[in-house]
Amino acid sequence: MRFNEKELISLSRQPSERAAELGMRGPKKGDVVKKKLVKLVVNFLFYFRTDEEEPQGALLLEQCRVEREDSLVFSIAFLDEAERKYLFECDSQEQCQEWVDSIIKASYEFMRKNLIFYRTEIHRLTGKDPLEQYGIEDETRFQVTSGLQPVQKDN
Amino acid sequence: MKIHEKILTHYLSCTSPVDKEGYLYKKKERTSSYQRRWFVLKANLLFYQERPADRHLLGVIVLEGCAIQHCESEGGLFAFSVVFRGSGLKTYRLAAENQLGQECWVKALLTASHCYLALLVRDLGKQYEAEAKRQAGPGESSQHSSVTGQSSEGLTQSMVSLNSCSSSFFMSVPVRTEGGNHRGSHVLQAPPMPSKVTSKRSPKLWPKRNAHVTPINGPVSAYGEWPQVDIDPLEDFTKLHEYYGEEVKQLRAEWLKRRQEGENYLEKDLIDLSEH
Repeated sequence: MRFNEKELISLSRQPSERAAELGMRGPKKGDVVKKKLVKLVVNFLFYFRTDEEEPQGALLLEQCRVEREDSLVFSIAFLDEAERKYLFECDSQEQCQEWVDSIIKASYEFMRKNLIFYRTEIHRLTGKDPLEQYGIEDETRFQVTSGLQPVQKDN
Repeated sequence: MKIHEKILTHYLSCTSPVDKEGYLYKKKERTSSYQRRWFVLKANLLFYQERPADRHLLGVIVLEGCAIQHCESEGGLFAFSVVFRGSGLKTYRLAAENQLGQECWVKALLTASHCYLALLVRDLGKQYEAEAKRQAGPGESSQHSSVTGQSSEGLTQSMVSLNSCSSSFFMSVPVRTEGGNHRGSHVLQAPPMPSKVTSKRSPKLWPKRNAHVTPINGPVSAYGEWPQVDIDPLEDFTKLHEYYGEEVKQLRAEWLKRRQEGENYLEKDLIDLSEH
């Protein structure tokens, strides 16, 4: 599958509040813990081999489950495969919790749900749809019941 | 760089909403021929494959750090491009079969980025906090939409706005009047879309409470806990505002010209008063 690699690499260079060296272990049996520079940018988790400019890989943080494994370790499970987890070792409990929170909040779907929540609440409190001022009130992606609405199709 | 394809394809096929899908033409990079592809937009990801039923995904475009621009029509198609900013970065050339398709896709792509959503959420979060406070406060007039309680940061002053006639993303300063018509003085009134494309959903028809509304992880965190978006609103909004301001003027002029030429223009009132 093709993807805009250069552009993603460029994205991985953006400043990020959540970047640190963590011990990372892949989900397969036999994977060992390795120190990686892990960086959260938009809804991607990039990981770099130490001292390399280009990321080794990018994990899309959607439809995944983030969990605290123990005081210093959190995990991310993808593909509804609860047992196949990526593990990340932090230096402190605080750091561990911060990563868990940041990853959850970075998900596009999580943000969308919050947007819909605010939209509904502001409408309830004021009688006005706050998206009208931006002219985007009809966009499918911001609909309150978008799961039930017909998708905007054109042939 | 490894992109973990399975995670992407899993996301594409899961139950979260598709934001837009349809056929578009995509220009091959080296030749100048267009190929018809089925595109699916979900979050900030634009997937494409040969046909809707195909299992095999041809590719994905991550829509961060890009601008969407109208292009000259070619060969009867209505072209637009996804332009990545930065040296050596790509421009994807796409085209729709008709102008309506072009407009809808451009608008959908403009609102697709994670950054855009983050700004919007941050802004609405502030509005919500202010409203909640105001309603909790005793004896305050709810009509006085003051900005004093809010920070004077870029976000409340320059709002993200969209003009469906324009081909790009611009900021405008809304005029907040009492009693709340929030339409900014610089915001161009979008011509109404034909009803087959958009659902004319008046907010008045919404149910008051919606089970879908609850954020997954419980009550929404207070504003202060929100993840920082990677831009400084004061700095970047000013720059973006200036940059897009110029483009908007130009595009508006073009739009007015096209309108005068009567090209595909609907004979309707510019402002649809019936909804209010």
